[in-house]
Amino acid sequence: MNTDKYINGYIQREKEIKPNPFLSTRIMSKIEAPLAKRVKVWYSVAVAASISIVIFLGVQLGQITTPDRNTALNINDSEIENFMYYNNETHE
Amino acid sequence: MTEVEIIESIQSGNTKAFSILVERYQEMVFRTAIGFIHNKEDAEDLTQEIFVKVYQSLGSFMGKSEFSTWIYRITVNTALNCVRRKKIERFFDFSDEQLQPVLHQQESADNPEQTMINDESDKLISNAIDKLSQKQKTAFVLSRYEELSQKEIAAIMQTTEGAVEQHLQRAKVNLQKRLTSIVGK
Repeated sequence: MNTDKYINGYIQREKEIKPNPFLSTRIMSKIEAPLAKRVKVWYSVAVAASISIVIFLGVQLGQITTPDRNTALNINDSEIENFMYYNNETHE
Repeated sequence: MTEVEIIESIQSGNTKAFSILVERYQEMVFRTAIGFIHNKEDAEDLTQEIFVKVYQSLGSFMGKSEFSTWIYRITVNTALNCVRRKKIERFFDFSDEQLQPVLHQQESADNPEQTMINDESDKLISNAIDKLSQKQKTAFVLSRYEELSQKEIAAIMQTTEGAVEQHLQRAKVNLQKRLTSIVGK
């Protein structure tokens, strides 16, 4: 059947693909360097921990500067200095 | 040197002995990986991942089954996980898939039209294989790429020979159903 022929041809072509001759070297170097992976894990943990510490300190600092909501502000606009005097040339 | 002797040597600290196992089973693992992934570079990455797993789990090999059966089992499980991962990646990224036929065409430009037709039919076949259920795909790949007997496949899949035969039969029917409309009977 036609489909069988196509499938067989496809499988045959895929079976003929050979791996890179240095694949075994690549595998062995990966296996012989497990320490590097462990360092990488610790590195990620350290980064995550420092981000958490920074967020925690940020929240703590934010709480220190919470405004006292009981203080009432009484602002009298008439007391504010009029800058028009300094911008208008006729007043120089 | 038998596999058991090699494993004992590795477990006593001789990491280099693992290269004997890599050399011995590399092609077998790579061929199976190609059957699941259909891409050389990805199959090489998968082969590496499988051997790292084999190395890490050498202690759990009890010798109850053949060493090759044990490696096949790890290969199949890792390959199925990889296929699942790739499916998710492909869902979010279409750029590579769209570029691949164009790049591939440039590599072999003897007869661009024929190359394109071949690429297209290859893609349809690989898609049809990918759409098989996990069990059907496993049985199909081990049977067609590795030419294993139903008994060996049953040992790898931890099932009965009858079940393997059923998976293979269903895989064949499903592939024909999906491909007949495209390539004809």
